[in-house]
Amino acid sequence: MREIVYLDNNATTRVAPEVRDAMQPYLAELYGNPSSAHTFGRELRRSVELAREQVAHLLNAADAQEIVFTSCGSESDNWALRGALELQSDRRHIITTRVEHEAVRNLCALLEQSGYEVTWLDVDEEGLLDLEELRSALRPETAIVSVMLANNETGVLFPIEEIGRIVREHSEALFHVDGVQAIGKIPIDLGNSHVDLFALSGHKFHAPKGVGALYIRSGLRLAPFIVGGGQERGRRAGTEAVPYIVALGAASELARNFRGHETIRRLRDQLEDTILQTIPNTRLNGTRERGKRLPNTANISFEYLEGESILAHLDEAGICVSTGSACNADSHVSSAVLRAMNVPYTTAQGSIRFSLGRYNKESEIDYTLSLLPGIINQLAEMSPYELKKVSHGGTGTQG
Amino acid sequence: MSYYPARINEHFLNPRNVGEVEDADAVGEKGSFTCGALLRLSLKIDARTQKITDAKFKATGCGFLIANASVLTETIKDLGVGHAARLPESAIADWFGGLPRNRTLCARLCREALHAALANYHAATREEWTGEEALICTCFCVSEKSIESAIKTRSLRSVEQVTRACNAGGGCGSCRPLIEEILDDHWRNLFLEEINAE
Repeated sequence: MREIVYLDNNATTRVAPEVRDAMQPYLAELYGNPSSAHTFGRELRRSVELAREQVAHLLNAADAQEIVFTSCGSESDNWALRGALELQSDRRHIITTRVEHEAVRNLCALLEQSGYEVTWLDVDEEGLLDLEELRSALRPETAIVSVMLANNETGVLFPIEEIGRIVREHSEALFHVDGVQAIGKIPIDLGNSHVDLFALSGHKFHAPKGVGALYIRSGLRLAPFIVGGGQERGRRAGTEAVPYIVALGAASELARNFRGHETIRRLRDQLEDTILQTIPNTRLNGTRERGKRLPNTANISFEYLEGESILAHLDEAGICVSTGSACNADSHVSSAVLRAMNVPYTTAQGSIRFSLGRYNKESEIDYTLSLLPGIINQLAEMSPYELKKVSHGGTGTQG
Repeated sequence: MSYYPARINEHFLNPRNVGEVEDADAVGEKGSFTCGALLRLSLKIDARTQKITDAKFKATGCGFLIANASVLTETIKDLGVGHAARLPESAIADWFGGLPRNRTLCARLCREALHAALANYHAATREEWTGEEALICTCFCVSEKSIESAIKTRSLRSVEQVTRACNAGGGCGSCRPLIEEILDDHWRNLFLEEINAE
């Protein structure tokens, strides 16, 4: 396989070698069932509990038993919302935002159809919430407030500490946070927060696909989403996916000890600044305030161009990115997140998301930056809109 | 492996005929809000031979659109305007060995831009026509008189029959309503003549 430059870490990440090594024995000789009575199986219970502690540690949860393993982030989100609603059958009001991941957004839309009332919080052009709007939306019958910590497309962060305080002070609603995109990228401290539920997924931070977890604050007795045997203390039936759970634990440990966040941030800044300063008709999607965005994400629109054509050119060079506008006549709608931010149509069409990770090297960013102007120029030259060209010779921002 | 199927990718990466024809005789533009694409086609047409002598395009859109437009401009060069207008929607798709179902819009957009360009050309041609008889089908340069005579001598009843008989209406189709009118007039007059004769 040719070498690739992987700048799509918000989509998924490479399984870390450390994680693979940790799970390997459980795909081989350690194949027992943790629920078995014999020692061979029971030994694995300890591995599962160790992983639980590792995840709890990463989240700074007060108690490891607050962590329940699931199959993915979407399962965690679905369970959190449905479970919270089931717990409070007399409350039928949900508050969420317009920019949630589909796992929350589509579920809330479905719940709305089946009779729940949903308040969809708007975001401004920078992708930020108006917390006053949240405050006034809270009601005695609000069952749950579901807000993401980091936006998967733009990397914009929502202030969950402040949101949690508002929810506590003004309502009895439960507070769920979709933390899938944030975990491993920024520090998380659930022990000192008002978060009741927190969803995460392993493959976003170097564990394999197929494992996730839901943090459930102690004392909250969420009904099981999957009913069956008594695994996970009766909260989530199904034989534990031991190799994957061990992997999630190892990935949590790896993330907690990771010291390269500043490098990722520096590379992202370099990529983002250079594109915005040297390529005409570019625009950052999401707040300019970098403290309010994930350090690894840059979502940039190349105005009046089609994102898919840029993606395909980069793909040809082995560079992996994503676009909010994969062209497909079946269901071609530009990204709901960008639409919620009121990004103009011709800008949203040309959006490209670069998301970096722990394995990216400076040379890869240089390589990307060396190819991008040529690609954009070729497409701009082809565009029926009158566009400025990338200036040649020097790094001036002219044009 | 590439992002697009090999033949699409080749034209996507090396599109032919990008740009605008100088002193274009026809320009057609077509956009789609479904997919956000925009295509502009400009043509140079030889007034004497009614042949497309040059074709260029500008587009913003996915690789399928760019490749389709590239192949379209290659295909219609040196074709008579009538022939070009009559190219079936499948002509470009077939060149690529078919298109995925969800990308057929790209081929349609190309064809619509071509028809827009030809309609633009024909509107100008009809205006400039200085011949004795009214020119109905500009794609094949068929006059009203020729159409009438074909209808009369061969007892034609439908636009399709007229097209088969003398090509009129077989191109971009913009003159089909006019042919319909000529047919109506002819048969109504004949009917009235017969009644009067009785």
